[in-house]
Amino acid sequence: MSNVLRPYLAAVRSTLTAALTLENFSSQVNILLIVLSILLMSFKVVERHNKPEVEAGGSKEVLLNPLIISRNENERVLIEPSVNSIRLSIKIKQADEIERILCHKFTRFMMQRAESFIVLRRKPVPGYDISFLITNTHSETMLKHKIVDFIIQFMEEVDKEISEMKLSLNARARTVAESYLTAFNT
Amino acid sequence: MHIRCWDELVKYGALDILKREYGSLLIAQPEHEYNVSLVIDLEQVPTDTEARDAFILSVALFKRNALAAPFELGFKTQKELEASGGSQGELMQVHYRDEEAIYVQASPDRVTVIFSTIFQDETDRIFGKVFLQEFVDARRQPSIQTAPQVLYTNRDPPLEIRHVPGLRNTDDIGYVTFVLFPRHFANASIASSSISHIQLFRDYLHYHIKCSKAYMHSRMRHRVVEFQKVLNRAKTEVATTERKTVTGRTLVTR
Repeated sequence: MSNVLRPYLAAVRSTLTAALTLENFSSQVNILLIVLSILLMSFKVVERHNKPEVEAGGSKEVLLNPLIISRNENERVLIEPSVNSIRLSIKIKQADEIERILCHKFTRFMMQRAESFIVLRRKPVPGYDISFLITNTHSETMLKHKIVDFIIQFMEEVDKEISEMKLSLNARARTVAESYLTAFNT
Repeated sequence: MHIRCWDELVKYGALDILKREYGSLLIAQPEHEYNVSLVIDLEQVPTDTEARDAFILSVALFKRNALAAPFELGFKTQKELEASGGSQGELMQVHYRDEEAIYVQASPDRVTVIFSTIFQDETDRIFGKVFLQEFVDARRQPSIQTAPQVLYTNRDPPLEIRHVPGLRNTDDIGYVTFVLFPRHFANASIASSSISHIQLFRDYLHYHIKCSKAYMHSRMRHRVVEFQKVLNRAKTEVATTERKTVTGRTLVTR
């Protein structure tokens, strides 16, 4: 882990550990909303259905303050906690076209496998590259500090992987050009 | 052989080259729906292994020899221009693929070959840019000082062919220019190896782009598996013990 990255990741780690105090919450609905929905017949409001509140976004009292930890303009983490779930979105550093393409491919690769990744969200939150959704069921069946470990490790690895892929692409290009052009000499 | 740019090749002297290479094997009237045909009498094929291999190789290079026409004409024109001091040869166009073409033009001191190539994918385009930038930069290395000079433009066609009608000016097209100097076709054997090598350029480039994409995919797949392993460490172990009753029968959970 490079030295410059350390305080950034430490901040993310501590925020996440603090925010991961999730409890079960079957959704609540107040009377006014029920009356309105019956009158308007337009939208479905259900009581006692267990949804991740950060996704459902029902009432303000169940959503807590979202927090952005940003390293610089191009790299930031958005944490949106709620009573029973957390949504964590990461914007990965992409300096040039190649990195943009590689990052896009890599995150798409992962999101296609969201089923097996459990905590991964299939679509990123707008403005970010990849999003994770951790609910109370996850924090009950999995060890919390390990989940945080996973997220932090992911953030380290993804940067490293993208720069490694870019280096290997440049090296390959150089070899290809060299071998083609030297053949003209013989 | 049926090749879409046959008429252009004939204009640049393909039939002469084929006659030179295959002589009597070339028949006057090609088969129906084909542009040109060779007749090989199996009795007449040379029997000793070396001559036989050379013969097989020569037949296998049928397309290459046909496509060499504009290049050989370009080389010849260059020598003539050098001797006579003229300005520029004619611009020869060969539309050898659906939307891609090769342009050859001779000048008194060089022969310029321009490839236009289409990148279907956005990713291909960016990878292609990296590869072609390296081609342009490779000349800085001392060992490749003598190689042909390579230039690359993304969507605007290079100066030499700007006046050609029907050129596409979209984002997905790239133009690569090779400048061949007289040392690259000084004698017949060097000339023919240069021609073979140049003809392969487009396929070589696209092959390597696809290869590097495949490599990226396998790397990403590996990385995804690693992540999954890390995540699985987070899962707690659920103790599965068999429960038995006093008489020895096992309890089954449904």
